[in-house]
Amino acid sequence: MNKDPLIIADQTFSSRLFTGTGKYNDQQTMLASLQASKSQLVTMALKRVDMQTQQDDILAPLIKNKIKLLPNTSGARNAKEAIFAAQLAREALQTNWLKLEIHPDPKYLLPDPVETLKAAEALVKEGFIVLPYMHADPVLAKKLADVGCAAVMPLGAPIGSNKGIQTADFLAIIIEQATIPVIVDAGIGAPSHAALAMEMGADAVLINTAMAVAGNPIAMSRAFAKAVQAGREAYLAGLGHQSQQAISSSPLTAFLDPII
Amino acid sequence: MKITVNDIEKEIEPSSIEEFLTDTDAPLKGSALAINGVIISRGQWSKYQLQENDSLSLFQVIAGG
Repeated sequence: MNKDPLIIADQTFSSRLFTGTGKYNDQQTMLASLQASKSQLVTMALKRVDMQTQQDDILAPLIKNKIKLLPNTSGARNAKEAIFAAQLAREALQTNWLKLEIHPDPKYLLPDPVETLKAAEALVKEGFIVLPYMHADPVLAKKLADVGCAAVMPLGAPIGSNKGIQTADFLAIIIEQATIPVIVDAGIGAPSHAALAMEMGADAVLINTAMAVAGNPIAMSRAFAKAVQAGREAYLAGLGHQSQQAISSSPLTAFLDPII
Repeated sequence: MKITVNDIEKEIEPSSIEEFLTDTDAPLKGSALAINGVIISRGQWSKYQLQENDSLSLFQVIAGG
């Protein structure tokens, strides 16, 4: 039995590594990577069906592997669009879990805080379990918790940038003040970045690009699983304090002085 | 009668949503539908009779982060 489970809303997770399903070269690699990552929660997107082409059935293998699905509202530019996308996603996947993301600017894909808060409040009232993607803004994180979000998903760096934890000081404040789980999402580009987020006390991380575009996505997914586990264990163990000066790890008694 | 599906015009026989989607081999798994901007839940698909000039928007779950 896992002695350190992560609980979000009514669900218990033994893995603290959440994953996305986008950007993989093929579905087989995606499924093998998700399996290697041991992820129990994966994100999905929604799009208008192209009536001319047949789509692969992406759902059946995920459902078979008992992975919980987290639809997102990617593509929504404001609260109104996000609420509509959320309602569609609930219909499509028969789940009230939702990764709320509203990013009107396609260059940096940074989340719109005003529209995100507005949509989150409305969606919680409609019975959604809302996990909002947000900037690493401690004030907004508190407000999102206040309106009933089940977790917050602050970014480390822009989506898909692989630049790592560029928001560390602000993530630390969010984590310190959190009353709901903190899932560091976006920008994590290497297992060491994921480990850092977990060492800081994040409850989970969400990885997509770094796994999907790796030279070997399956091996990289495995590496991320280890990093997240290591980071979590280090956090629970309690990191030592940093110091400007050296502090000797060996006794510095001058035992050689009489000889030389 | 004439309807549009994701902005493509179609000439169809009178039918329910479910009959129409099945006939056109549209994806049914992981999909959601809105008619004239109103989401129609799956439970209503067999009952809802399509009307002249209905505008259908069909959405499907895809890979994403």
